[in-house]
Amino acid sequence: MSIEKRLQEKAVELLSEKKVDVVVGYEAGTLPYQAAPCFIENPDDEGRLVLNPFCSVNLAKYVHDILMAHKASQKRMKPEQRTKKVVGVVARGCTTRSLVIHLQERQYERDQIFIIGVPCRGYVSKKKLAAAAGGKEITACAIINDRLSFTTPDGTKEIPLESVLAESCLSCRYNNPVISDVMVGDPAPPMKPDSEYADVDAFEAMSGEERWNYFAEEMKKCIRCYACRNTCPSCYCKVCFVEQSQPRWVGVSVDESDTQAFQIMRLFHMAGRCVDCGSCVDVCPMGVDLRKFLKKLDKDGYNLFAHRAGEKMEQQPPLSVHSMDDKDEFIYEP
Amino acid sequence: MEKKVIKKDALAGIVKKLAGQMPVYAPVQDQDNVLFKILEQGMEPMLDFGNTRNAPKNCFFPQAETMLKYFRTERGRELAGVVEGAPEAVLFGVRPCDARSFILLDYVFDDPKYKDTYYMERRRKTAIVTLACVHPPSTTCFCTSVGGHPMSSEGADIVLADLGDRYLAESLTDKGAAILKKFGDLANADDAALAKKKELSEKSEKEIKSIIPGNDIKPWLDANFDNPFWDTIHKSCLACGTCTYLCPTCHCFDITDEVKRDGGRRIRSWDSCMSWLFTQETSGHNPRTSQKERWRQRLLHKFRYFVDNYHAIACVGCGRCVQYCPVNIDIRKIVTDISKL
Ligand code: SF4
Ligand code: SF4
Ligand code: SF4
Ligand code: SF4
Repeated sequence: MSIEKRLQEKAVELLSEKKVDVVVGYEAGTLPYQAAPCFIENPDDEGRLVLNPFCSVNLAKYVHDILMAHKASQKRMKPEQRTKKVVGVVARGCTTRSLVIHLQERQYERDQIFIIGVPCRGYVSKKKLAAAAGGKEITACAIINDRLSFTTPDGTKEIPLESVLAESCLSCRYNNPVISDVMVGDPAPPMKPDSEYADVDAFEAMSGEERWNYFAEEMKKCIRCYACRNTCPSCYCKVCFVEQSQPRWVGVSVDESDTQAFQIMRLFHMAGRCVDCGSCVDVCPMGVDLRKFLKKLDKDGYNLFAHRAGEKMEQQPPLSVHSMDDKDEFIYEP
Repeated sequence: MEKKVIKKDALAGIVKKLAGQMPVYAPVQDQDNVLFKILEQGMEPMLDFGNTRNAPKNCFFPQAETMLKYFRTERGRELAGVVEGAPEAVLFGVRPCDARSFILLDYVFDDPKYKDTYYMERRRKTAIVTLACVHPPSTTCFCTSVGGHPMSSEGADIVLADLGDRYLAESLTDKGAAILKKFGDLANADDAALAKKKELSEKSEKEIKSIIPGNDIKPWLDANFDNPFWDTIHKSCLACGTCTYLCPTCHCFDITDEVKRDGGRRIRSWDSCMSWLFTQETSGHNPRTSQKERWRQRLLHKFRYFVDNYHAIACVGCGRCVQYCPVNIDIRKIVTDISKL
């Protein structure tokens, strides 16, 4: 039985036995190279669920959204009228790590989520695919094993799937779930985590001025749509500082320093909390290279605190805990 | 008005020469995107590109602009308005859907009662040169379902049509005729050219792949403000506003004061119904409490309120929101789904 079929059966079971109120998963998109997040509440709709390398965004964000909206709706109710909501979620490695972060940060309780773990071989980067198609419109797209074929007005072409996988996926260390309530499918073979910091190493070798220039150039592309922040499961502040107006921290026009201020604040807020799912990069309409900076923070988190975001429930994010033997030399010798 | 023909390989030169005389906005490659930009020395206009990433509305209605400045002086407060006279300009290579968007934007900014001087100044001085779609550039184009046509000349001052071996250039307004003169000495169009255009136009219309019932859903929208259907479209939305920022017809804006020490400026910047700050009141209350209400607003504004106010759908079928929504929320599907309810 295909993994998709098993997933659909699991969803029917969970929904009809009322173990969950909703299953968050992916459905086929309206464009040949897209799958879209979907929310299944009725067991009869289970046939919509798909699982393929076009399933890109990290679904943990939606789990948080649903549970927070539910919590808010319960506030004004008498205790005896309050209901519990359980969200089922189709989760690959990075999604489960985001769920771990939510749990560590006490966003909701473990029994409010039901994790349907799935193995992952990486997802297709829409930007890489567009580049492979030379910017021509893709009118059909199919994946057979490790090859991807696509059709443009110039004809049909076949390329290795790996050549269009997202950067995050190519060097992913946790492509299988780190926690789950049920696993659907056999574990996927490892990706190539040894190369995960190659890009950061090259960046660190540059001079301070070169690094700043690179950052400033990338930020010039940013139009501050905040898609990166909004898709990020770890960006869940109720009101982001960029949108506060009393006081106003960041201006509303297209001033470079305002964009830099937003990005710097967001990046630092991600220290120890970014799982490198690549969703922010995937949804950015302008192709801003956010990953390099996020990966640098991740590398520092590992080197200084032996911490990898969302890897284990019991290991708290480094900036939320203090221990007497924390390293601190870098504070004095940057 | 004038009907001329231009040799295939002469057009780029004409556009570049024009760019030496006045600001010419044209589609150019800018890193990964094709954008409308003012042509500068050494830049190549793209003559056969489908829809640019950004809509050309930016040229008249920029993402952020200063409306006025103010200063505190010893004599009290002083104001400086900053509507600068705009130069005569050309907006070249606009697709028919985008050209139509200017007619829709004019309804809003050039209203008999309210004239938007900022928009109007640039709009009046700019001639629009449309490049007709002899083939629809993408499968997501649905102009014919919302009142447009791939070879339409609506909104254009000049229309160019690629006949294969040459371009047919027709001026439609005085502004267009004046610019066409600047194109240089051109041969008059013969009957064969006009016949060829007609043939291409019929063919192109048949090549449109996306057909949606754009005109049929108004009665349902009028009657179903509270329908449970509205619970089904917004859930995956990231509220990024990509759909509204890239949309040639979206025109909501916000006004903010930025004050630094003894002076400040009043800025108008794009707003988006997709953002939670949209219609947020000073008290902290927002009549649109969630993304559901915001998404309903987006659809109703385009397919109901605008139709009530101006008898036109506020969507020109360019397909940008369909192609660039990061989570694939597809307005074509929503309209089709509504028509089946
Ligand atoms: S980062 Fe890892 S788990 Fe996440 S999608 Fe990529 S390969 Fe899969
Ligand atoms: S998604 Fe891209 S363009 Fe939008 S705010 Fe983030 S970095 Fe900027
Ligand atoms: S709503 Fe979408 S298809 Fe319609 S004009 Fe706007 S961007 Fe284009
Ligand atoms: S582009 Fe898509 S995700 Fe972004 S605001 Fe529009 S509908 Fe929502």
